[in-house]
Amino acid sequence: MDFGTSDFKFGPITLGEQPRIVNNRGYFPDKNSVMYKAFEATSDIIVGDDVPLYLQSAEDLSSRLIYPMRNGMIERNDDQAWRVVETLTSYGLEAFKPHPTNGFQGYYVVASLSSVSPRYMYERLMSAFLHSNQGMIRAVTVIPQPFAVAIGHGVTTCVVIESGHGNSQICPISKYPIRAAQVALNRGGGDANAITSEILKDAGYGDLANEEAVVRKVKESIGLVPADLDRAIEEARRSPRKVKARYRVPGTRVEIDLDKDSWTRFLIGEYVFNPNHELFESYFNRGMPKPRDVKMGDTVFKGMLDFGEAIAASVERCPVELQPLLYREVLLSGGNFSWAVPAKLEDLAVDAPTKVKLLLRDRGIKNVSVRMTTAPQFSVWHGCIIYGFAVPENYEWDWQRLEGWMKVPN
Amino acid sequence: MGAELTGNGNKEQGLSFQLGREKAHVLVLKPEELAQRNAILDAILNLSALRYTYQLVYLAAPRLFGASVDAMMFRSRGIGLLFYDERRIDEAVPAQSLQPEQATARSPDDDKAVVTELATLRTMYVEMERTINQLRDDLSSLHNPRPVREEPRILPATEVITTPPSFHQDRINVGELPSYFVNNPWLDVLAKRGSGERERIAG
Repeated sequence: MDFGTSDFKFGPITLGEQPRIVNNRGYFPDKNSVMYKAFEATSDIIVGDDVPLYLQSAEDLSSRLIYPMRNGMIERNDDQAWRVVETLTSYGLEAFKPHPTNGFQGYYVVASLSSVSPRYMYERLMSAFLHSNQGMIRAVTVIPQPFAVAIGHGVTTCVVIESGHGNSQICPISKYPIRAAQVALNRGGGDANAITSEILKDAGYGDLANEEAVVRKVKESIGLVPADLDRAIEEARRSPRKVKARYRVPGTRVEIDLDKDSWTRFLIGEYVFNPNHELFESYFNRGMPKPRDVKMGDTVFKGMLDFGEAIAASVERCPVELQPLLYREVLLSGGNFSWAVPAKLEDLAVDAPTKVKLLLRDRGIKNVSVRMTTAPQFSVWHGCIIYGFAVPENYEWDWQRLEGWMKVPN
Repeated sequence: MGAELTGNGNKEQGLSFQLGREKAHVLVLKPEELAQRNAILDAILNLSALRYTYQLVYLAAPRLFGASVDAMMFRSRGIGLLFYDERRIDEAVPAQSLQPEQATARSPDDDKAVVTELATLRTMYVEMERTINQLRDDLSSLHNPRPVREEPRILPATEVITTPPSFHQDRINVGELPSYFVNNPWLDVLAKRGSGERERIAG
């Protein structure tokens, strides 16, 4: 079971290559509403594919539709979010309830959480499994998502960078996750959306700048990662037609044309990897929130650290003789690393692995191999499946190590 | 009367009322129903059947019916009789309140015996289920030497895994594992977890 920021991916090994996916969210319907009564819902929380059937007014959504892992973490006392996790856990088990007479002795459940999850999240998740057991779980374990990515990819010594909506995690792996060397960034896909929204406002599309779905589409369609931001802007100003950015919202008459501001499309990608360029200061001064250092649980999420610096900081916390081996396998995982390079702009724009390589090169780090995970959407689930398959039954859960099987009494 | 009309789920004809702790049921006989054969008899039988559900049961009949009725027939059964016309309703025979039968108090010894018997039955059931599962597995292995899994929708792997994993190996057909298992070094690394080998570097 992979508790991602947006999706909950789950299912047993028998599913093969792809898990079953539902949104990692829960809806708390208004019990007084006619819709709730009409559907005769027996539960006060809805998860899974039925959620859209219960959605009420847009005003209600922010308070009633809960994405518990939006930032990769759940506060200890956020009971609503924990209820969503517990309900999804039961939903996941119920979806693969075996026939009672086939000799089934219980699942070995592997769940995956953000690598920066504090210990109480492990405790609450374990507790959720114990409560939703229904005789279906024989043993349970929780592993960090970057560790699962490395397993799914078949790389035993590497640095995994997992970048989601709200934050990014850098975690070195050497047969075990090296927890003491983890670095977390308070920056993710949501921040790229934020600067895209500002760019739209400046270009005269203020009415669209507040529609999250449109902003995300614009980011994905016209956002570019520059190899060198200064050079890209210079070239764009010299040949504006070359970098012209235009996007039509499907099914509407709305067309966005950045026109003379098309050079700003390079800011979107740059901001994800390195928000320290002086150009971003003008956006901060005009009110765009600057990514700040925040402490969540025991972890400090750095706001302004660029990816090159963050990877170097993480690797340098590991033994010196291990460091070159780690740089040789840098794995990028998560939707925030999906950046296209248009054919005519290959001299100015790069993909995510190349950008990370360039950032590391700027810090004098060479002999680096950076690559994207081949199935970024499923690699955590793949890792969970392999872990559950291979780890011996007698390897018992240890709260110091945060690994092993916790047996579930039936 | 202070009675509260209650729903009866349409299972019974008539009206049900809550009178404090007592529940009353009134079966209303309409003028046109009087002409039907056995209408009164059916009504009395229906109300008699409700005596253990409701403390008070009444038949409400048109006043016209009063001339021909034998009140004893109702009184002897504790069924109340109401007459109505367009102007008023009168209680001709009051209903006799009948308290529902209280469950006979059982001694703790009885409960203990039942619990013990249930526990024995449960143990026998679990043992029987285990034996049946064992027999089923044996039968399955006789019919099919290779273990068959539930929902076998796994894509065949094209290469052979060099290091077969540990304890699940007997239950999973290695040749049918998903592609991400193929030549995955973690299978070997993870299979050694807990074997005393401490290769951990930090954290």
